[in-house]
Amino acid sequence: MARGIADQVAIIGMGCSRFGERWDCGADDLMVEAFREAEQDAGIDRDAIEAAWLGVFYQEQNTGKSALPLSMALRLPNIPVTRVENLCATGTEALRGAVYAVAAGACDIALAVGVEKLKDTGYPGLPERTKGTFEDLWQVSNTPPGSFAQLASAYAARHGRSMEDLKRAMAHISVKSHANGSKNPKAHLRKEITEAQVLNAPMVAYPLGLYDCCGVSDGAACAIVTSVDKARAMGLKDMVVVKAMQLAPSNGLEMCSSDWDGSYTPTTRIAAERAYREAGIGNPREELDLLEVHDCFSVTELVLMEDLLLSGEGRAIEDVLDGVYDADGTLPCQTDGGLKCFGHPVGASGLRMVYEIYQQLLGQAGERQLRNPALGLTHNLGGLPMRNVASVSIFGLKAA
Amino acid sequence: MSNAGDIGILAIGAYIPAWRIRRETIAGAMDWAVPALKGMAKGERSVANWDEDAVTMAVEASRRCVEGLDRDGIGHVALASTTLPFADRSNSGLLADALNLHERITTEDAGGSRRSATSVLQRLLQRPGAKGSALLAASDCRETRPGSLQEMQYGHGAAALLVGAGQPLAVCLGSASIHRDLVDQYRTHDTAFDYALERRWVQEEGYYKIVPAAVAAALGEAGIGTEDVQHLVLAAPGNAASRLAAMMNMEHAVLAEALDGNVGNTGAAHPLLMLAGALAAAGPGENIVLVGFGQGADACVLKTTEAAAAYTGEPVSAGRSLDNYVKFLALRRQLRPDYGIRAERDNRTALSTLYRKRHDITGFVGGRCRSCGSLQFPLGHTCVHCREMETQEPESLSELPGTVKSFTEDWLAYTPSPPLIYGNITFPDGANVLMEFADFGPGEVSVGADVRMAFRIKDFDENRAFRRYFWKAVPQAGGTDG
Repeated sequence: MARGIADQVAIIGMGCSRFGERWDCGADDLMVEAFREAEQDAGIDRDAIEAAWLGVFYQEQNTGKSALPLSMALRLPNIPVTRVENLCATGTEALRGAVYAVAAGACDIALAVGVEKLKDTGYPGLPERTKGTFEDLWQVSNTPPGSFAQLASAYAARHGRSMEDLKRAMAHISVKSHANGSKNPKAHLRKEITEAQVLNAPMVAYPLGLYDCCGVSDGAACAIVTSVDKARAMGLKDMVVVKAMQLAPSNGLEMCSSDWDGSYTPTTRIAAERAYREAGIGNPREELDLLEVHDCFSVTELVLMEDLLLSGEGRAIEDVLDGVYDADGTLPCQTDGGLKCFGHPVGASGLRMVYEIYQQLLGQAGERQLRNPALGLTHNLGGLPMRNVASVSIFGLKAA
Repeated sequence: MSNAGDIGILAIGAYIPAWRIRRETIAGAMDWAVPALKGMAKGERSVANWDEDAVTMAVEASRRCVEGLDRDGIGHVALASTTLPFADRSNSGLLADALNLHERITTEDAGGSRRSATSVLQRLLQRPGAKGSALLAASDCRETRPGSLQEMQYGHGAAALLVGAGQPLAVCLGSASIHRDLVDQYRTHDTAFDYALERRWVQEEGYYKIVPAAVAAALGEAGIGTEDVQHLVLAAPGNAASRLAAMMNMEHAVLAEALDGNVGNTGAAHPLLMLAGALAAAGPGENIVLVGFGQGADACVLKTTEAAAAYTGEPVSAGRSLDNYVKFLALRRQLRPDYGIRAERDNRTALSTLYRKRHDITGFVGGRCRSCGSLQFPLGHTCVHCREMETQEPESLSELPGTVKSFTEDWLAYTPSPPLIYGNITFPDGANVLMEFADFGPGEVSVGADVRMAFRIKDFDENRAFRRYFWKAVPQAGGTDG
């Protein structure tokens, strides 16, 4: 019986670049910016790193393919570097590779870097890529907002809620994330907004308006991991340890079957159940202290509160409006501003979420600091509601 | 397939695209340059949506024609049009694949003249073919120069006939053709628009001389006189049809509705479109003279049967009003607006992939699992429901009713007619497909709404002049029967 990943691997250093429209930076500059912070935080020599994982999604227009962008940017001493890509879960996948390598005992210290340089395209929004030669022949010429907007119409229909109710809860989510982002010096969007601004914004894809959508940003994030034993040997007392890292990709059910009603993300539910089991969590709503979820769109965050088994079925609207997930609520979500305001450089986002959990657990979150959090969750939904890769990871504070 | 029964027209279907533009709207935009348009500004014309062409309209008309009939009995498919999208790729073959006909059929693209459809029909009525019945679709999507008379007069549409042995609506008593190279209008491979000659010359030297000769010859072959003709199907400009009826001593005959007021002239499709109306109006045992005109004339004498009494057709529906001349130009690619800054992508089609997946794409063929009975698209090696492997049998979703599960109106996605509306559609027996919608406007879709499938252009590859097709969800009462 496999014992899972819990309590074997510690994060000993993290770094994150400022996210945003980094016109002055290329992907290599961003990786170095994040790495320098992590290296200093970990207090290790760069040459102590024995293996690295690089996460980048749109490699065609920023870094290029392969291990080389990371190996070259850091002039790594020819250690193994693996480039990974798994849609918006890419950054988390880079970390999973490093964590698994350390847990396996293949190396003592491993590095995970996620980066995305999106603002060299000359147009706003995400680049469009082929979905595959067959898929291009029939799949919709959709956009991310249009695809996630499907959740809203299906959710409202399933739970018999008016679009006005749903839109108000969605607006609350965006207002909350902007408030949180305004306290984050590295966030892309640092302006507070009002519910009226959200509700009156231009429509992007019904029912999602401009403020229901996250930013498209440049950025990089980075983690250095080692075994819990090695971390202790290095003299670390309080440390952030990996409790669970689970991944659930779609197998086609959502796209091809009417069994799915379109109002939730089945993969998130599967990954969440596995992660709670791996971490030994019986009551996530009670036990978790903070969340960083894939709030690419406001409605995604709302639906995810149910998919992560935190709000009851059909109860997310009330929980959101009651402030459960606000910074001062019982289970704060997106204390760093989330994808919505910190920004969404795709390959970096998974690691950026871990960066916030890491800082919060170690009491280093500055103006955003929560009171004594001990257990945090990150979640990515790579792709679209109808076909995606969901990851759920849990990190805990291991006190000396 | 059965050869029992008489040979004749077994079924007929018509399709008029949903969009209509009022001629007043066209005149209002262009009469500053062409004051004569004001005098023609009555009624409206049909407009193919940006994702429709001669092939997609032919598919729609054909589906209506063969609705409820066994498609395996079709041995020949002909597509007549002056605006076939492909010069070297069988357009009728595309039509056959969209209808999921078997591969042993013969296919035929007919063009080169507005009477291409009537010419093929005459031949099919004499020899529908040994392999079964023959499907003849006629469809035209003629583009017109802004401000031209054609822009006012033309419409887009299609009709289809099934010809063969069985219980026909009408049989052929006789037919005749005259070839005469009177160039009343022409278009070359290098030009987008028709060049038309003075109408008075076309009528005097063309219609009034050629049509009576062809009709007389056909009646002679049929062995009936003009007094025996109850219906005249003749598309001609202005009042030329009634003048001709008088010239041919057929004032007593009912002139088939020319659809000027709500459709316009649909080119090669028009004789068959008008025939659909005539067959709906005719009682059993009546004679119909069908005329096609263009560098000569075809005339065909049809006699309705008892079965014709049951055929009532459907009136042309009101359609959707397109009271925006600039949008009309944009939908028909006469004007290329800047739709806004957004992601750029090359739309090259992997034709080897299209070949492997031609039934999936063109015929909307998914798979039904032998093990659990569920239907799914696309057909795969592993059932999405029971996960059994290699259990799926091909089955098309094209004629199945769909229900909207979720949708959006996407103003960010590129489409020539924003917003791009799309959503999850559920089908009977467990199938679900995320698909694009067509002929819906903002605020018109709701979860739970019923939709039907329509074969449409998915997108264009501007760099390689290719267009690819797939199926879209359209309103249940989408388009109209003629």
